[in-house]
Amino acid sequence: MKEKILYSYSALFDSPDKIIHAANVVQEKGYKKYDIHTPYPIHGMDSTMKLGTSKMAYVALVFGLLGTFGSLFMMYWMGSIDYPVIVGGKPFFSFPAYVPIMFELTVLSAAVMTVVSMLFVFFKLPNLSHPLHDTEYMKSVTADKYGVTIEVSDEQYDEEEISKLYAELGAIKTFHIYYDNEEISTKHIAMQPKFLGFLLFIFIFVAGSTYFTLNKFMFMQPYNWMREQSKLTAQEGSTFFADGFGMRMPVKGTVARGTMPYLFKGKPELAATTLHNPLLPTKMNLELGRKKFNIYCSPCHGYFAKGKSRLHGQFPNPPSLHSVKVRNWPDGRIYAVIMDGQNVMPSYASQLDYNERWAVILYIRTLQRSLNAKESDLK
Amino acid sequence: MSNIVDYTIEPQLVEGNLSRREIDELISTPLNTKPTKGYYIGLSITLTMLLMGVIGVGLSFYYGVGMWGNNNPVGWGFPIVNFVFWVGIGHAGTLISAILFLLRQRWRNGIARFAEGMTIFAVMTAGLFPLIHVGRPWLAGYLFPYPNQHSLWPNFNSPLLWDVFAVSTYFTVSFIFWYVGLIPDFAILRDRTKSKIKKTIYSITSLGWRNSNRHWQHYEMVYLVLAGFATPLVLSVHTIVSFDFAVAILPGWHSTIFPPYFVAGAVFSGFAMVQNVLVIIRKIFHYEHIITLDTLEKMNKVIILTGSMVGYAYLMEFFIAWYSGNPIEQFTFVNRAFGPYAWAYWIMVSCNVIFPQLFWFKKIRRSIPIMFVIAVFVNVGMWFERYVITVSSLANDYLPSSWGYFTPTLTDLAILIGSFGFFFTFVLLFAKTMPVVSMVEVKSITSGAQPSHGDH
Amino acid sequence: MSISSNIGYEKKGIPASFYKVGISLFVVGLVIVVFGYFSNPVRSAFNNVVLLMLLVSVGVGSLFLIAVEYLAGAVWSTPFRRIFEFLASTVLILPLVFIPIYFNMHNIFHWMHQTEVVKDTVLSSKSGYLNQPFFLIRWVIYYVIWSAFYFLFTGNSKKQDNTGDQSYTRKNVRIAAAFIPIFALTISFAAIDMIMSLEPHWFSTIFGVYYFSGTVLTALSAGTFLVVYLSKKGYLFNGINQDHYYSFGALLFAFINFWAYIAFSQYLLIWYGNLPEETSWYLHRWHGTWIYFSIFLLIVHFLIPYAFLLSQPAKMNPKRLN
Repeated sequence: MKEKILYSYSALFDSPDKIIHAANVVQEKGYKKYDIHTPYPIHGMDSTMKLGTSKMAYVALVFGLLGTFGSLFMMYWMGSIDYPVIVGGKPFFSFPAYVPIMFELTVLSAAVMTVVSMLFVFFKLPNLSHPLHDTEYMKSVTADKYGVTIEVSDEQYDEEEISKLYAELGAIKTFHIYYDNEEISTKHIAMQPKFLGFLLFIFIFVAGSTYFTLNKFMFMQPYNWMREQSKLTAQEGSTFFADGFGMRMPVKGTVARGTMPYLFKGKPELAATTLHNPLLPTKMNLELGRKKFNIYCSPCHGYFAKGKSRLHGQFPNPPSLHSVKVRNWPDGRIYAVIMDGQNVMPSYASQLDYNERWAVILYIRTLQRSLNAKESDLK
Repeated sequence: MSNIVDYTIEPQLVEGNLSRREIDELISTPLNTKPTKGYYIGLSITLTMLLMGVIGVGLSFYYGVGMWGNNNPVGWGFPIVNFVFWVGIGHAGTLISAILFLLRQRWRNGIARFAEGMTIFAVMTAGLFPLIHVGRPWLAGYLFPYPNQHSLWPNFNSPLLWDVFAVSTYFTVSFIFWYVGLIPDFAILRDRTKSKIKKTIYSITSLGWRNSNRHWQHYEMVYLVLAGFATPLVLSVHTIVSFDFAVAILPGWHSTIFPPYFVAGAVFSGFAMVQNVLVIIRKIFHYEHIITLDTLEKMNKVIILTGSMVGYAYLMEFFIAWYSGNPIEQFTFVNRAFGPYAWAYWIMVSCNVIFPQLFWFKKIRRSIPIMFVIAVFVNVGMWFERYVITVSSLANDYLPSSWGYFTPTLTDLAILIGSFGFFFTFVLLFAKTMPVVSMVEVKSITSGAQPSHGDH
Repeated sequence: MSISSNIGYEKKGIPASFYKVGISLFVVGLVIVVFGYFSNPVRSAFNNVVLLMLLVSVGVGSLFLIAVEYLAGAVWSTPFRRIFEFLASTVLILPLVFIPIYFNMHNIFHWMHQTEVVKDTVLSSKSGYLNQPFFLIRWVIYYVIWSAFYFLFTGNSKKQDNTGDQSYTRKNVRIAAAFIPIFALTISFAAIDMIMSLEPHWFSTIFGVYYFSGTVLTALSAGTFLVVYLSKKGYLFNGINQDHYYSFGALLFAFINFWAYIAFSQYLLIWYGNLPEETSWYLHRWHGTWIYFSIFLLIVHFLIPYAFLLSQPAKMNPKRLN
């Protein structure tokens, strides 16, 4: 049987006047490790025990100010820096609108942190294994008696002296309070297995429920109703079509935007007679034609369409475009060459769009005219 | 009790010469006894009402918000009216517990715990409404500024978001204030109880509180600080709720007097509701010596004070609407009294302005049946006030071509009834599982509780 | 046997120097006022309006505080009741201050110019209320009501001093109960008449409450100052202690917050709605030299007193209160 360790020697009194007097005497006698237990706060006890004013108000002030400025900074950053959105024509940093939330967060921060620090830091609660718990002393004190407790660890602790003192002060009952051996623990409360187990449980519960909620629950009915709609989105399958594909190929005859269908593949003579240049030889069109000609045509045809180009020797030379044959070709015939290619030349239909092709043809005409100008052109 | 008040002596706060042990006994008895038949009947009524609300809300989720009467132009209907109503009711609790504490009115001690509990339940009930009226409440998390996958932040310019912060803060702080007050009471219950399960529960909830004076010292300061914060908080919450309306430029809504007017109205309806519930509780649990008739009379005085403030606001709004010379503003107020919602307007005026004035008479202030009826009228009147403000301004605004009439649907009514069921269910459960009166505070104001010499 | 000897209070005579200083200040002030009116009557008249409303605040606000003390059954304030009654006597000299305004009314109030009123639809719609005869009648009524209540309160209070009969207190409680609603209406309309109508196109439903918050604060701070000053010099009852100071400090703090709350909510709503007919009032006060006054108001009327009175010990400290 382990020997019980004494924690304190305590006494009960039955009136507030007596407990004030008792507290006064105990304090005067120089005891340091003592405490007074009362069912409710007694007026004047704080000064009797020479406790001074509580510092909790400063804690509240600090956290309150943290809340004020923290919330101001948060709203400033979110509203003016990270993602500014114009709302109602108000400036990005609309201070009057921020005041209500600043106030609320001041109060929230101050209240919560003050209480949390009071309970966990100042009181070191929760503490379910204090030696005073479950004693008759405690039960009387929470009901209607007033108690003094002098701890054994106090320097002046002396059994007889305290006994006499209690008798003088008029105590109605005295107790020796012992530690409960099972509950003594040298480890800090944060390291004890029960607490760690509790933390682990909280962690698993929160992580698990968050995962479940966000990744599974929100995809169940009815929460997914707005997410899953009847309309087809890209790459979605569909049971409407036999092959199960939601995405379909374009129907025959679909024309891409910005293009005109070319109906004369392999029929250059037909193209020559049917197609006409829709563009007028304006400066803008000629500029466009020159630009595109220099990019796409000049590597083989040369800058002046003479056939001598910078690919000379590495690639078969094209014939000069200034020949009589080409000069007599209608615009549509040149268009057919661009679209279909001819001999070694491939099709340039994908490099030039509709307007660009006709502009190039205008430019070619300009080049041709420049090398075969007539007398009338000079006038 | 004689009618002549002698100003040289202070009235007794706790009557009947109850000893401190008897107070413990009286207040913890309901927690240890089996519920009476009356309690079960009450609970079944409230649960039925709650069930109606659950069905209403379920239908609303399943079929959508179209189940309600909201239409164009009256886009805000019952949900917002109910929200403002319940938040208002919550304010009385904080006022009693925090503001009266700061004013050192010790008659609050008997009713403070209950009032705070009612605040928490009222705020919970109120919070249901914004949640359901967004249509998809499971996305409500986006209301809070956390880094989400859309990189979006909530709109801090909107009073609806200020509401989110205000009501959450109000709920959290009220809950903390209530809980801090409960810690010593849980310690009392822990030391009194014989049941092992209850002992474990009370030990945990009391956090091992030891009634040490070194702790009382900080406890009192924190209580004072919390009361000091809760006071402006309660004023700010209903102010921010009033901003929901007042920042809009709708005639009848854009009125600078809304903040204090709403706060006064909230205290008004809250006190009426608290008074109603207290009258019932003191009868059922035999708390007549703790929740004294004097206390109830003082509450009625507050009711008439705040009712007069509300009446003043009506008058001032009406006068300034005329004074402004703005024909639309003037029309709005005439329309309220004589237009399609005149029936609601006159219910509101008679219940809020006329009936509470009866409390000028002492006999009426001290008569339990009459005060109960007047308080019920006040609650009805205040609900209709929110209804009149919301619906009449929306239904008849600037352009006559946009006018439209609002009719509530059965789903709306079911949800309203459900909210009462929700609130009262919690009140009844609270009354049976926790001490509804703060034992510690009441003990500290009995005669002989404090030392006779000393500075006070 | 009068009550004062029961509680061991000896009425201390005011030293002669007080009278001398008081009278010379009064004469100097009078000279300055007259000079002001001769050199620039319009500006003086506007300043006079400010002065009138300040005195209304002090006087009627003190009446309000007395009434509240009676209604709340507050016992702690009884030693200072005379101070507040004295401050309330300010209402009696209001007509004197009103007279210069009466002679300069046309220069101050736009709505008194009939030609302008007829041209302006807004002003003509208000002319049922804002017209000269009705304005004067209203001010006569306010003055009569306020003076009547002053005499009722102080009369009963003096009689109780002599006889010790508590029925006077009960009578005063009844009078106080009747006074509160009348006060609410008269102070609101006084503010509307004298201040809001200076800008007759502007309106705000909270204006009466705004003026009320300033009124209570003015009366309370005047009273606090007097109480602290006089009790330091030993003119008051000896039993005044920290608790009393704390009550003053706490009340001042609360009403500073209340004033700031009302001022801010009026500002926020008008800022947010952004309606030109309402924002004009604030825009005037944010431009030119007025901006300095506005910022000064914010700092001196709110920030500094708030910081000074925030802590609990500060509220009890007579030096801080002064």
